[in-house]
Amino acid sequence: MSTVQVEVEGLSKNFFDPSRGEVRAVQEVNFECRGSEIFGLLGANGAGKTTTLRMISTVLQPTAGTARVLGHDVASDPVEVRRNLGFYSASTALYPRLTARETLTLFARVNKYPAERTRSRVEEMIERFGLGDYAGARIEKLSSGMKQKVSIARTVVHDPPVLIFDEPTVGLDVLNALDLQKAIQELRDDGKAILFSTHIMSEAERLCDRIAIIDKGRIRACDDLEGLRAATSQHYLEDIFVHYVTGDNTTE
Amino acid sequence: MNRRTVTALVINDLRQLARNPRVLVFAVALPLVLWPLMWFLTSLTTERRQERIESRTYRYAVADEAASVAGAAEARMWLERALAVVGDDGRADGEPTDGPAIRFERVEAPDDVAAALDEERLHVHVAWEAGGDEDPSDGDVDQETVGKAGETTPRIVLSHRADLDASDSAEGFLRRALERTRTELREQRLAAAGFASAPDDLLPLERIETASEEQTSGLLLGRLLTAIIVMMMLAGGSIVATDALAGEKERGTLETLLTTAASRVEIVTAKNLSILAVAFATSVLNIVNIVVWMQLDLIAPPAGLTLVIPVGAGLLLLLLYAPAAVLLSSSLLLVSGRSKTYKEAQLLFAPVMLVAMAVAAIPVLPGVELRSAIVLLPIANLGVAAREILTGHYDWPLLAAAWAVTGGAAALLARASLRTLSAEKLITASELDAADLAGGPALFPRRVARWFAALWALLLVWQLNIGGGIDSRLLISINMAIFGAAAWLMIARYRLPAREALSLRAPPLGAWLGVLIGAPAGLVLADGVVRLASLAMPIPEAWIEAMAENMGAGLPLWQMLIFFSLMPALFEEIAFRGVLLHGLKNRLTTLQLVLIAGIAFGFFHVDLFRIPPTSLLGIFLVVTVIRSGSIYPAMAWHALHNALALGSARLEQIRLPEQPAWWHYVLALAATLLALRLMSRVDQPGTRRRGG
Repeated sequence: MSTVQVEVEGLSKNFFDPSRGEVRAVQEVNFECRGSEIFGLLGANGAGKTTTLRMISTVLQPTAGTARVLGHDVASDPVEVRRNLGFYSASTALYPRLTARETLTLFARVNKYPAERTRSRVEEMIERFGLGDYAGARIEKLSSGMKQKVSIARTVVHDPPVLIFDEPTVGLDVLNALDLQKAIQELRDDGKAILFSTHIMSEAERLCDRIAIIDKGRIRACDDLEGLRAATSQHYLEDIFVHYVTGDNTTE
Repeated sequence: MNRRTVTALVINDLRQLARNPRVLVFAVALPLVLWPLMWFLTSLTTERRQERIESRTYRYAVADEAASVAGAAEARMWLERALAVVGDDGRADGEPTDGPAIRFERVEAPDDVAAALDEERLHVHVAWEAGGDEDPSDGDVDQETVGKAGETTPRIVLSHRADLDASDSAEGFLRRALERTRTELREQRLAAAGFASAPDDLLPLERIETASEEQTSGLLLGRLLTAIIVMMMLAGGSIVATDALAGEKERGTLETLLTTAASRVEIVTAKNLSILAVAFATSVLNIVNIVVWMQLDLIAPPAGLTLVIPVGAGLLLLLLYAPAAVLLSSSLLLVSGRSKTYKEAQLLFAPVMLVAMAVAAIPVLPGVELRSAIVLLPIANLGVAAREILTGHYDWPLLAAAWAVTGGAAALLARASLRTLSAEKLITASELDAADLAGGPALFPRRVARWFAALWALLLVWQLNIGGGIDSRLLISINMAIFGAAAWLMIARYRLPAREALSLRAPPLGAWLGVLIGAPAGLVLADGVVRLASLAMPIPEAWIEAMAENMGAGLPLWQMLIFFSLMPALFEEIAFRGVLLHGLKNRLTTLQLVLIAGIAFGFFHVDLFRIPPTSLLGIFLVVTVIRSGSIYPAMAWHALHNALALGSARLEQIRLPEQPAWWHYVLALAATLLALRLMSRVDQPGTRRRGG
């Protein structure tokens, strides 16, 4: 069994809004993710998936609780946390005037990848993601499928053991979405611990080794698909999701 | 901080800029051409206008009825003499010049003068009226009226259209010629009557310029240099700054960057370096560009300006401007970070530029010296320092102080931009936190510094503009009203519990003894601090005299006690040891609280020489409130301190020794420490200690 790479304990986040007052976006979330595992956060829009992942990536500070990436605490050791993870989401864009090769070099450098191995690592990524013909072209000139490949390549260029994919297929066509899912599975096979958030049931069903169903900031259930089926006597993930979100079955 | 990361980020920023042809053309290349071109076109237009004015033939007419007026012959003589010298305006020293020969052509007097002027058939109309009906000293006589009003001398009246270039010029030439003729005629008449004819015969004057050419030119350059550099730095820096955070936020690359292993410090450092690099490069480009145009004689430098700076002074200026550059780049970065979009950042840069330019233009003002409160105003202090350096005055302690003040402000702004980058509103829609939402007392600790910064700026403007120009009692009253009103506003706005905020509690009994010991001892120490500071910043005699004047040397003692002792003790304590201390106490350690709140009090005495002793007093008073838990001993200490300071200046019996010995200070220090110890509430159960 692989070692635990990400540990989340009692993680909570409150926002303050002039019209809504105190909003509890995430409440006492607990889970862990191991190497060679895709851990899915399944929830509707506004359920707290992105906020949870942003806290783990140190972009947001938790109101309470802790999260550790390879033992590094997100609050006390944020740089080391970020050095060990790659963050991909639909809202993380690329610099349009850089070429694909320059983009990968930049992200290898800012993620403190060893200088002497940067060049070979960048070329390896270009080859792995089939960017060879476009490596010298500016990002703004690339098709959306190529941009997506560059985005994944920049997420993993510094070879982080933990990867976060926050609703990565939003806005992608079917073929690009399938390509992306394939890439994520390959990364899992490479031994990466992957946190994957989505609101698409089929995606979670196909990709995730374990699924946490999140609703109104709380995790309602967390198990592998078989475990969830057994617990709810439902076969389809959609029914399982409805069961937990509309019912009162909270896993603490 | 990882140098490789910072370098990679800087290269990325510069690469983004270099690959944006639109920005390069509009923000870099075009100004390089446009600025000198505008300068060139302005001087070309002025030259051409002058040529046209001088080459034109002006039409004048003399009113028909003028012939019948008494003294018409004399008036005609005046006009003919003036027309003979028209256009030769003479130099300021009265010597004739080879002025342009302006042609005037007489035309027939029109029936409707106004219409003729309007249609430019006529440029100036001359008439004369019989004199003697008005006193020449009467204010109604306008500037176009020439000649002495008397019984026989007529009054010449020139009519023209000020809005028409030719008419306005014609009137100007003719009027000046008449004035000159009048002066010459007067001198001739005086000479004929036996008086000295030439002014120099009466009182010869000679001017000797002792300033070197470098100093004169340095003064001119020094007045303009800071404003020019600030303008260029802001114009250049804003090209990158807009994109630095606001642009990245809008594009979505900021979140990408924030999830990398680059620390916030590395990102802010890289962004600042990018801004500085571009600002520096565009400034150098612009300066070189202007120099090249000057070398090609396409544009002329202002008269008396030599663009030569000695190497030593140049290096010193470079060092001096370094914190100003960081201050500017940090301000731009801060604005960019606080803006949600590229467009918003561009809009917000305008007020930043306006404020920076206003401050940078202060060296242009005459009489502003570095050895004044201006040393406390970032950028302006470096501007005045640069002006003094360029005129050969090196006031080292004040140069260091100016550098430190602007450097400190730069560090504060850099820290603020760092905090902006850490703020969650960069990523989320929510800009608030619990304190923002709760408002009131929870929010006050975060707002107190802004309030006092605004108060300080208000006081600085007030003091610089009013200074000792009004009655000292009124000055004190207004100052105290400002403190009182600000304290009341803060208490009301944030719903602060007055008793808690102002520490309105009974002090331990020992505190009163502490006041009696501490106030005189603290005054001796303050005197020591003044003497120590004067080693670096000698206090001018004029300042001491002005101080005595401002402190109401001529007032009765009871009034002095009210205005200089009781009022400050009441209002300043409420503001500084009340609300300021209350706002800061939970955000700082005790040591930080004592130093920051104490020294802030000193800085509010915006007079440079009063800052060190009042800062020391501020520190003692902060410790007094922290230890006693009450504001009352601080009020008493403050009142007694000021009363003793006044008394020392006026009463022989309690005057401080002229040359104190070292043991005076040792004794005073020991007494002060004892006094502060007596303030403690430690032994009283159930009381809470502040600070920390």
